[in-house]
Amino acid sequence: MSIINLFDIASSGVTAQRQAMEVTGENIANVNTPGYSRQEVVMENRPVTTSSGFALGSGVAIQTVRRSYDGMLQQQIVDGNSTYQQSLARQSALEQIEPSFNELASDGLGKALDNFFGAWQDLSTNPQGTAERQALLSRSQILTDTFHQVSNSLASVAKSANDNLVGITADVTDNARNLALVNTQIIATQAVGGNPNELLDQRDLLLQKISEKVGITTTLQADGSATVKLKGGEELVSGTKYATLYTSADAAVPSANEIRLSGLGNPPAKAAGDLDISTTVGGTVGGVPNSLGKLGGTLAVRDTIVKDYRDKLDEIASQLVSTVNAQHRAGYGIDGTTGNNFFDPAGTTSATISSASLVAAKIAAGTGSNTGDNLNALKLAAIQNKTDIAFSTGGASFDGFYNSLVSTVGIETQGAQQVTAQGTAFLKQLNTLRSSNSGVSLDEELVNLTKYQRAFQGSAKVISAATDMLDIVMGLVR
Amino acid sequence: MRVTPGMTADNAVYNLQQGRSALDALQEQVSSGSMVNRPSDDPLTTRQLLDLQNQISAGDQYSSNITKGNLLLSVTNTALSGMSDIMQQVKKIAGDMVSGSTDQATVNGAISNLAALKSQLVDLGNTQVGNQYVFAGFKNSPPFDTTLAPVAGIPAPTPPAQPVSTVSGAFSGTSDLLNVEINQGGSKVATTVDGGNLLRGTTPPAVDILSGIDTLIKAIFNNDKAGIAAGITSMKDGAGQVTAAQSDVAGRLIRLSNMQTMIASNQNTLKSIYGDKQNVDYAKAGVELSQQTTAFNAALSTTAKISQLSLLDYMK
Repeated sequence: MSIINLFDIASSGVTAQRQAMEVTGENIANVNTPGYSRQEVVMENRPVTTSSGFALGSGVAIQTVRRSYDGMLQQQIVDGNSTYQQSLARQSALEQIEPSFNELASDGLGKALDNFFGAWQDLSTNPQGTAERQALLSRSQILTDTFHQVSNSLASVAKSANDNLVGITADVTDNARNLALVNTQIIATQAVGGNPNELLDQRDLLLQKISEKVGITTTLQADGSATVKLKGGEELVSGTKYATLYTSADAAVPSANEIRLSGLGNPPAKAAGDLDISTTVGGTVGGVPNSLGKLGGTLAVRDTIVKDYRDKLDEIASQLVSTVNAQHRAGYGIDGTTGNNFFDPAGTTSATISSASLVAAKIAAGTGSNTGDNLNALKLAAIQNKTDIAFSTGGASFDGFYNSLVSTVGIETQGAQQVTAQGTAFLKQLNTLRSSNSGVSLDEELVNLTKYQRAFQGSAKVISAATDMLDIVMGLVR
Repeated sequence: MRVTPGMTADNAVYNLQQGRSALDALQEQVSSGSMVNRPSDDPLTTRQLLDLQNQISAGDQYSSNITKGNLLLSVTNTALSGMSDIMQQVKKIAGDMVSGSTDQATVNGAISNLAALKSQLVDLGNTQVGNQYVFAGFKNSPPFDTTLAPVAGIPAPTPPAQPVSTVSGAFSGTSDLLNVEINQGGSKVATTVDGGNLLRGTTPPAVDILSGIDTLIKAIFNNDKAGIAAGITSMKDGAGQVTAAQSDVAGRLIRLSNMQTMIASNQNTLKSIYGDKQNVDYAKAGVELSQQTTAFNAALSTTAKISQLSLLDYMK
């Protein structure tokens, strides 16, 4: 063994420590980068030689730069994101809907119904009174206006959900394209024996981003690339190819966006025969509810939540129109006419309910042509207390049915808020675990930095010592 | 567990957010004074509160109906008192004439008095509140005819003497009663009196007071003592009929007043239950707010301290 060997060993030390410091620097630089996993240098000693008659290593080498990573955790974060974003989308829609039904803070449909029947009561105490008749007309106008207003606010929530689908699907496609690109780079890097740590981080981050938007199943291939399928089994990304998720307006009026998925390609081409997967991304897959991610939540808002509320409102409107009209037709106005509808019989939904534009004299307060007759007004006022109006959920009064609708809105809003809160806590916990495993700790890196710096100094000192020794040896020759 | 500064920062943000939203919820309760500010705060209580609101507003409506019924019945009652007074006078005049009289001035005086009293009865029978006639049933016009008509059975005088005429009093109303709903379950009170039966005796054994007066006038004119005596009996029955109507109306007024009291006490109960559920207990909210503020202050302070810590401060 010669002094030259000393140079070799020391220089391997200098190189290894310098590279370790580079990795530490990289960690520190990326302390706040989303999705970054901290990297560790794994050193090993170089092959042992026995040139001096005993076994001694020939310096140090960097075996690998390891990425601290937990695949299980990553999968849970992907799933957690899907559930969380789904309930977040529902929560934000429900919170927009709730004020329309907030009878506690302001007068809404319930109060308007109350006032409408109260006006019939007032009319029954003075059946020929012009003022009472006018009051009744304006009360019914307010009632129909309130129906329209609630219906409009529901419609606008559904519309904004429908519009949001465009952005969400575009976002998924964007991330799918990026993932296909990252897959390409990973495969290329792996092929030349490289270590694509940062690319893997990017891959995982993209998977998380996609999972926020739509429920996915991921398979990691041996070449490091990720294959992504939607829960219905449709392929979104496979190796270097990806599919386009896009919306296409259907023929209905107002038109709703269908969710379509093109075939794989790079770039993929949309075709007329592309699958409409609205029912699997927002509905069920094999009987299991599959409303996941922002896409699932938004579809649920449009197709389930808003629709259910509108159906119930429409039911109230339709029952009100038919019940009041039937009783009203049986009575006589003070002008002696009978058989008049109070509401326009054509408008049987919350959006179309309207009064039949009766003049005050045609309001049928009586059961005969006498102008002081209040018997029909009493019967109309009594409709408010009828508890056997045939609603889809069974016999109930108008107030009762509406009140349970309000409380349903409350329960569903509260439910969405709670699920979102739980989702937040769960994701936070997962992210904490991920940080604990993969996050960069500045303190740790600073200590490492010092450690490698000192080691670097040590190796440099060895070189300096070796130089001195070499000088001495050279001096002998002189 | 390995803890990184990023975790500390994330935890701090999460916990500060939790603290703030708790503070915000308490602040909303205190400033609105309501425990339940939207259905999602407490869906079940919301349902109960809405039912209570409905009951309270129904109570308000019935209370307003009762007030209107009270007005109609009070006016009816006043008219009936007037009628009762008139019947006393009719009986007195008839009584004065019971033994007959041949003095033309006395007879004329009695006849014109009776004619005037009859017309007063008819006027009272046409009593209205606003545009409602309290004795007209479902008709919306004066129920009793006020045009003058000669009394039958009295020979026409030679002009220029005036014929003996009284108001006709023909009844054009209906026998219906205007019922007003005063409580749930269709509890109703009639706010009017059947004028036809009261003054015209449309349903026997009720007495036709108005034609009775005409008959009396004829008997007095003809000095028909038996007729006068029969007229007095009939007028007594008529007076009884008016008094009976009066006590009927008085009874209904008492029923209204009782119902009003009951509704008022019901309303009080409902409102106090509503209040119990909905009103914020300020003492409790205040204490919670102060606890929450302390906790939040502590969180802010520790967050500020911890996030400053770094090994960098100690390395050269």
